[in-house]
Amino acid sequence: MTIHRVIRGVQRYQGWVGGGAALCLLAGLYLGLLGSPPDYVQGEVVRIMYIHVPLAHTALLGYTVLAGGSVWYLWKRDPVVDNMCHAVAAISACFTALATATGMIWGKPTWDAWWTWDARLTSFAVLLLILLGYLMLRTMIDDPDKEARYAAVLAILGFVDLPIVHFSVEWWRTLHQPQSISLRGVSIASGMLAPLVLMSLGMSLLFSYMLMIRTQLLYLHRLLDAKKGRLLSRFHAPNADS
Amino acid sequence: MNAIACHGISQSYGQYRVLRDIDLTLARGECLTLLGPNGAGKTTLLNILATLQRPSEGYYEMLGMNGRTDRDAIRARLMLLAHGAHVYDDLNARENLAFALALRDTHPTDRDIKLALDRVRIGAFADMKIRHYSAGMKKRLALAKLMLARPDVLLLDEPFTALDPDGAALMRDHIGERVADNAAVIIATHDPDKARPVTTRAGQLRHGAFREIALEDLRADGAV
Amino acid sequence: MAPFKTIRWIVWKDVVIELRSRETLASMAFFALIVLLIFSFSFSMDQRAAHEVIAGIIWVAFAFTGMIGLGKSFSAELPHDCLDALRMAPVSRGAIYLGKVAANVAFLFAVEILLFPMLVILFNLDVVEDLSLLLVTFFLATVGLAAVGTLFAALTVQIRAREVMLPILLLPMVVPVMIAAVEATKGALNGDPPSLYGPWLELLAIFDVVLTIASFWLFDVVMDA
Repeated sequence: MTIHRVIRGVQRYQGWVGGGAALCLLAGLYLGLLGSPPDYVQGEVVRIMYIHVPLAHTALLGYTVLAGGSVWYLWKRDPVVDNMCHAVAAISACFTALATATGMIWGKPTWDAWWTWDARLTSFAVLLLILLGYLMLRTMIDDPDKEARYAAVLAILGFVDLPIVHFSVEWWRTLHQPQSISLRGVSIASGMLAPLVLMSLGMSLLFSYMLMIRTQLLYLHRLLDAKKGRLLSRFHAPNADS
Repeated sequence: MNAIACHGISQSYGQYRVLRDIDLTLARGECLTLLGPNGAGKTTLLNILATLQRPSEGYYEMLGMNGRTDRDAIRARLMLLAHGAHVYDDLNARENLAFALALRDTHPTDRDIKLALDRVRIGAFADMKIRHYSAGMKKRLALAKLMLARPDVLLLDEPFTALDPDGAALMRDHIGERVADNAAVIIATHDPDKARPVTTRAGQLRHGAFREIALEDLRADGAV
Repeated sequence: MAPFKTIRWIVWKDVVIELRSRETLASMAFFALIVLLIFSFSFSMDQRAAHEVIAGIIWVAFAFTGMIGLGKSFSAELPHDCLDALRMAPVSRGAIYLGKVAANVAFLFAVEILLFPMLVILFNLDVVEDLSLLLVTFFLATVGLAAVGTLFAALTVQIRAREVMLPILLLPMVVPVMIAAVEATKGALNGDPPSLYGPWLELLAIFDVVLTIASFWLFDVVMDA
């Protein structure tokens, strides 16, 4: 059996992506933690932004990739695309959990509460629940084909649902407390922009790198299963046992 | 035009290969009796042909329609008699027939339904809930459904089990009638003696591989 | 067959079976009653506090009750492999979906109506001034719940641990429907002017449409191979 061409491409470029991620993240961390000024209002606390915001952006980007990949899978039914979706979901779940956690840590000193029913926080909590449900769903189905289809259904419906969640929570909170504590509209000092961009780029590259590795792993797993099957069926060949 | 044409159909569940490279063609007016021990892949093959699952590899055509893309059109022309009776416990025989046939866009009159139930000799139980039916009666009900629907392709998974000799004869006669009427039939069975009179071709599935066998070799033990 | 006829047959079948067995309606009503009783034990509330929480209590009870009804609507297709028969039927999957949604909405809504007098008694509600708007709220939220719920019930019935997976997958998806339902119910119970909570009803209607269209399309993938 030949290795899938997508996987061959992945194997060729993964090193560059991983290296790029390391460079961007190191430079971004240096600039963010040491090389940039503290915030006028928030002081040193603001530095968690350089971790939190890129994590959150990447998690959302990841979910978009998951939804796109799911549509692609339902259209083409290529198992490698399904492996990619499975990998994206697991990594997105990690990024979403980290984004939520860093958001809470940031929220404590700035809003004086670990948790508020802010639209973005709530959407992320729901996103995390959907992703965990997605990963759990995948363990509940034996037939790989069915697993792929049902997972895709869940991912696509979640993609339709998330904007609705965000919108409804935003509306709900603004009706209750018109002056919601939101960071929207806060302009960013020029010294903060460079580390933020570097970290965002680095996180996206790290995400891609992890995605490449994990997709490959899942693909090879499936290949191995198929190989095992061929080997086993040689023992049970039609003429061998009659 | 072939009624059924399989091209390299394989099915695997994880590392288990249930079907291997099945190339099988069946013309209209033919009845293939398919033998094979438990776990040989008979039911899987019938499920694939009945559009219930997609093969891991390969494809098939039915009545000139592609099994991958024309699934709805294929469904309108075939019927699967499966292990499950496809009936609701809380509906009676009449209602079950009316519902199942309505989904096939066939709308038999009450008289048609009554006649069909009489033909399979469960007319006296037409208003009884299926919950109280025996397995054999359910099979007779399924036969009545086949009689009313008259599909062009019949996929019959163990059509004779649970039927008494009289019921088996009814089933066989109906199959014979449909074959004469130019329908294509696949019978998967462990009981080839009952199927032999209507069989025109015989085949065997073993560890997922299909092999055509001579009609004389159609024996219950399956050893060829 | 015309899709409308398919929808009618599916609804007819589900309703006839339910009227004969009364399994789903009875278990749903009884379960909802118990949930409400437990809530009324655990919060001994005065009238004012009651209005704030009661809308939430109602929807927690209805959502969990809905899980029972939705799960049943497809697990009832399992004996004798009726689900396979539906999957093989040469009708549009969308028609099957809409038929099932209609039947589910009917059952859930019936239970909600049945329980409403109980709510009034248990929580000492003043008789609601704007009963019609409250009923509209119940109906719209039930449609939203059933739209996604029917899709996920069809999905989870074909996998392992289906009783657990249905709420795990469904509840996060219906968060917006629940928020809107609770807010509108609260408004109606408080006797607020409809202009204040009316927007929530509009929002519910929009959610219903979006979720139904998405589920309608995805149902095909769940039912077909």
